Amino acid sequence: MGFPVEQQHVTDLLPAYSLGALDEPDATRVERHLAVCSSCQAELAQYRRVRDRIALAAPLVEPSPHLHRRLVERIAAEPQTPAGPVRQSRWQRFVEFSRRAAPVWTPLSLLLIAGLLIANLWLWRSVPPAPILAAVPLTGTAAAPQAYGFVTAAPDSATGTLVAQELPPLDPSHQYQLWLIRDGQRTSGGVFSVSPEGFGTLSIQAPQPLFSYDAFGITVEPAGGSPGPTGDRVLGGQL
Amino acid sequence: MASSPDLARLADDVLMRLIAMRRQDALDTLYARYNRLVFGLALHMLHHDHAAAEEVTLDVFVSVWQHASTYRPDKAQVTTWLTTLARHRCIDRLRALRVRPEGYLADLAQLDQTAIQDAAAMDAEWLVQRERVQTALQDLPAEQRQVLFLAYYQGLSQSEMAEALGLPLGTVKTRIRLAMQKLRTLLESEI
Repeated sequence: MGFPVEQQHVTDLLPAYSLGALDEPDATRVERHLAVCSSCQAELAQYRRVRDRIALAAPLVEPSPHLHRRLVERIAAEPQTPAGPVRQSRWQRFVEFSRRAAPVWTPLSLLLIAGLLIANLWLWRSVPPAPILAAVPLTGTAAAPQAYGFVTAAPDSATGTLVAQELPPLDPSHQYQLWLIRDGQRTSGGVFSVSPEGFGTLSIQAPQPLFSYDAFGITVEPAGGSPGPTGDRVLGGQL
Repeated sequence: MASSPDLARLADDVLMRLIAMRRQDALDTLYARYNRLVFGLALHMLHHDHAAAEEVTLDVFVSVWQHASTYRPDKAQVTTWLTTLARHRCIDRLRALRVRPEGYLADLAQLDQTAIQDAAAMDAEWLVQRERVQTALQDLPAEQRQVLFLAYYQGLSQSEMAEALGLPLGTVKTRIRLAMQKLRTLLESEI
């Protein structure tokens, strides 16, 4: 009554909403309310499960045997790369896009770098030098001989970035995990997935400065990561 | 059908993982298991247009091949994934061609007679589930089942249903709500 319209429950409208049968303005009203009401969200989830069962009332009918042959032909025309974990972060999508655009931006960035170097040389005369980024190369093990990458960070920083290339794509239930190794102790540096081309990046937030560790290692772990390494080591680098 | 006997014993979600790894024999197995479900649904929704229903079936299984890695077993059963894909494609077609629901309404009486058909090779648990749903739908009053099916199988909105059936909008709204509430109660143990 005295409540704004978004706060009034929409229980009676949810059955039709779950079927996609609600007309405006009711549909918008339901959406606004759902955004703020978890009990109506739960109720809707139930109606959606009911809705999905209605499909089972249709008769089962055998299609023509030719249809399977057509399916095989369509599949054969599809690209053969595995449809691995393609859920990428915004950053990964940006990096992917940059890679594809490489023919255009490579010469441009070389020019830009040359320009910046000249500007830097000129600035060095007046300003004390600032810390520069260091990088530790990573090389593939027998489990992933093609793989390579690097970890980069400012010398005393606990935050950095991992870039890996040519890692085998994994099924959705697995991810790669970075291990920060010191005195035989392994601390997780985070988990990441790779694109179908095997390219992945990870933003690292370590408990200690990154270059105070002895080595970095990357293993295959169940999605979400493990408390300690359990799978094959695919990449590694000594400091 | 080139579907390996070993794969035929695997659960649906395991098949999906194999399909994501580009195992075509796993797709063949899933197709052998559910082509009648998808084709039957499309045929029913598209007023027995065989050619159109075949196109939809093909699209659904090609989509499975392309997007198997995005399937999440905790979100939905594989059969729900398949029927949802098929339903959306059919509704898109019906809307694009502005198909009127009258032909479908004539069909509904026939659907009510449908008995469970030969379904060897399909998951036994799934068949039990299907039988329960069919029994529950038969328990609804015919006029409630009619609006439910128009919404689900033809993608009609409440106002479109009111027009097609020559009923007041309020009547349609009540029937949809009662139908879904009753179905939810009838299927409570499994949803």
